[in-house]
Amino acid sequence: MKRFLAVTLGILTAFGGFVDIGDLVANAVVGSRFGMSLAWVVVVGIIGICVFAEMSGRIAAVSQRPVFDLVRERMGPRAGLVNLGASFFINVLTLAAEIGGAALALELVTGLNYLLWVPPVALVAWLVMWRVKFETMERVFGLAGLALVVFIVALWQLGPDWGELTTQLVRPPQDEGVPTYLYYAIALLGGAMTPYEVFFFSSGGVEERWTRRDLVTARANVFVGFPLGGVLSLTIAACAATVFMPVAAEPDSLGQMVLPVAQGLGKVGLGVVILGVFAATFGATLETALSSGYSLSQYFGWQWGKYVVPGRAARFHVTVLASVIVATALILTTIDPIKVTEYSLVFSAAALPLTYLPVLMIANDPDYMGEKVNGRFSNVLGSFYMVLLLVVAVAAIPLMIATKAGQ
Amino acid sequence: MTEPARVLHARLHLLDRQVVRESDDRLLCKVDDLEMRPGDRPYVTAILSGPLALGPRLGGLPGWLMTETDRLFRREERPGPYRIEMSLVTEIGSAVRVAGHRQDLALERWLTRNVVGRIPGAAGTEEQGDPESGARDAPEKALRVRERGEDRPDAMRLGGLLGRTVRGPSGEAAGDTVDVRLVQDGPLLAGVHHAFRAAGLLIARRRAGRLFGYERGPGLWRPSLLGALVRRMHGEIRYAEWDQIESLDDEEVRLGVPWERLRSTADL
Amino acid sequence: MIPPARLVPPALLTALLLSGCVSPAWDDHDYALKAGKTAESAASAVRFARSVVAYRDRMTGPYAEVVLTEAVHDLGSVNDQFGGVQPPSDASDRIRDEVLRLTEKAENEVEDLLIQTRRDGVKDPAAAVRDLGRLASELSDLAERHK
Repeated sequence: MKRFLAVTLGILTAFGGFVDIGDLVANAVVGSRFGMSLAWVVVVGIIGICVFAEMSGRIAAVSQRPVFDLVRERMGPRAGLVNLGASFFINVLTLAAEIGGAALALELVTGLNYLLWVPPVALVAWLVMWRVKFETMERVFGLAGLALVVFIVALWQLGPDWGELTTQLVRPPQDEGVPTYLYYAIALLGGAMTPYEVFFFSSGGVEERWTRRDLVTARANVFVGFPLGGVLSLTIAACAATVFMPVAAEPDSLGQMVLPVAQGLGKVGLGVVILGVFAATFGATLETALSSGYSLSQYFGWQWGKYVVPGRAARFHVTVLASVIVATALILTTIDPIKVTEYSLVFSAAALPLTYLPVLMIANDPDYMGEKVNGRFSNVLGSFYMVLLLVVAVAAIPLMIATKAGQ
Repeated sequence: MTEPARVLHARLHLLDRQVVRESDDRLLCKVDDLEMRPGDRPYVTAILSGPLALGPRLGGLPGWLMTETDRLFRREERPGPYRIEMSLVTEIGSAVRVAGHRQDLALERWLTRNVVGRIPGAAGTEEQGDPESGARDAPEKALRVRERGEDRPDAMRLGGLLGRTVRGPSGEAAGDTVDVRLVQDGPLLAGVHHAFRAAGLLIARRRAGRLFGYERGPGLWRPSLLGALVRRMHGEIRYAEWDQIESLDDEEVRLGVPWERLRSTADL
Repeated sequence: MIPPARLVPPALLTALLLSGCVSPAWDDHDYALKAGKTAESAASAVRFARSVVAYRDRMTGPYAEVVLTEAVHDLGSVNDQFGGVQPPSDASDRIRDEVLRLTEKAENEVEDLLIQTRRDGVKDPAAAVRDLGRLASELSDLAERHK
């Protein structure tokens, strides 16, 4: 049991990347429009995030340095500041969306408008970050997020035509244009590899005081959490491909995207999936809010973290509090939370190389890593992904404009 | 002591690293810049941090904003950055560890007292042992959350040596400085350990920003694709000993010997 | 080279502007395309409403209401947006009437169902499912014709 609980950090981190509010809906949209023909992108994303999360976890365990320390140290103050600006902007935008997402989940349960739920959700999230121990936090929300596994059960209950799903893997639908297809590919890859995942994961490793002896734990977190998140995101797409695609219905809200579970499993399934959605979005709220504190503090060298009492990390906690307030105000303007993440996903694709490049460099630096430097396999994959991420970063914004954000 | 003096590349090994307080592992600040005592053989005297150290290195509008905002809150005529004596440094690794009871920067102290301390449930806001100001606190509460320290105009900053144009003896452009090589064989600091002395400059033929550690031997160019790419962007890289530098000013470095006679970095 | 992150704010602004406004129709063909798109989104909303009625016993009350409310809202905004586009010629007027007849009917029907659900459940679910199904396929056919 203890062994199992040790991987909740990976699960919480991965769910924030693969099945947070934006991705929950994006996966359903992709499933309903493209069937399983974008599944390969999710697989590419899983491998990519595993490669870099493993490196950043290893660096955190060996040298106690989280990712934004590395960004500042290797890229220097100027490029570091550019990355900080972009990441912080994405973080707050995503944070706003996640608060909205958790509130939407509560709306599905109660029928009360989600805007009423936004302030309490934000307040509780802040209280959790203010007072609850990091380990407790990660266990509660990581485990509760596992309720989303109900999508797998629902898919099986719905009895899809497996042969059809398999054919879709290699055959994109004819009536969608290539730019739209590529736009969604980038959105999915950006969602799978958002920078805040490695900020949170490596800082979480430091919060849990990983040392060289915890390298196995670090790896277990990576290789359990991220693939699990990825499989869930594929399952959501498959559910949508089964239920929505044949009738050309395109889901654009949380309520619509959980419909397959209600159809397949009834009220109990619906209850479980909404719990899972709430846990995943609330977990992502914590992940993005803490990441904004982590990245800013680590750039400037401030004391950060929940491993010291709040009074001993004043600048960090003020940053977290301020981000929560700004994000809450943003979502209370009635801006659509799902639209917000669609945009921030694409921008995060543009900020990816600046985050992962220093991780790759330092994972190769014997001054930091001693004999734990990257092997050839990690380096080949890492270099390949750097090239891929550069292409994605260049293509993201033009594609978004050309396709009017995938319409 | 017979072991050879330690060699560091300032930008690669020292600048922008985290400073940690030895006694309780508290994260204090970053090495935003290094203060050097000028002279024939300049050596590093202190770690500089805070907006007044980072601002000038950033340059441009963000740098200016950072410096000027900090000045607004200071009372000194010529405020200086937060300073940690080099003699307090106990270890330079993935972080720089310093001995003693250095206080946090002013912003942290102010926020602890005026924001975080007022939110219910904030433990640990009472400041820990602060030997400099002792137990007298009440009348100078406001003062104590302000940074204090004059700027030292006679000192040199290491950040200023980076990214400068290098010219050969006859005035032809030779390249750009990319890093400063430090050797720990300078004068004794506070009778504890030797200072890091500037031993020479690493100069790249083409201006292409940072070297990311790829100035080290080809054995360390990993991943190889990235290493080769960074090296290519910089063109040839050579090393100028401090003796081979004729003059140094705010704009340029002038070499006393032609580019061809500089050492290549392969044998560093 | 401008670092990609510096392009973020202007690009965001452009994207918001592009996606936020209803563009005018340039000619008959463009108008027909818009009509097709409208019918497509309306069909999608009707299908969700149909699923809710069909699987009502597998859902909790608040959930069914939220999804139906969304469908009404979607249909309403689809109607408003398309109704606001100026048809460029008489030929386009016909398409306009055809599309709006169906989408407005859809909006009314789904709204009725929402009211019934809020009160004491849909009176004749089987008939409602049939009607919504027919309406959805009419809308899809229309979308198919104006592609």
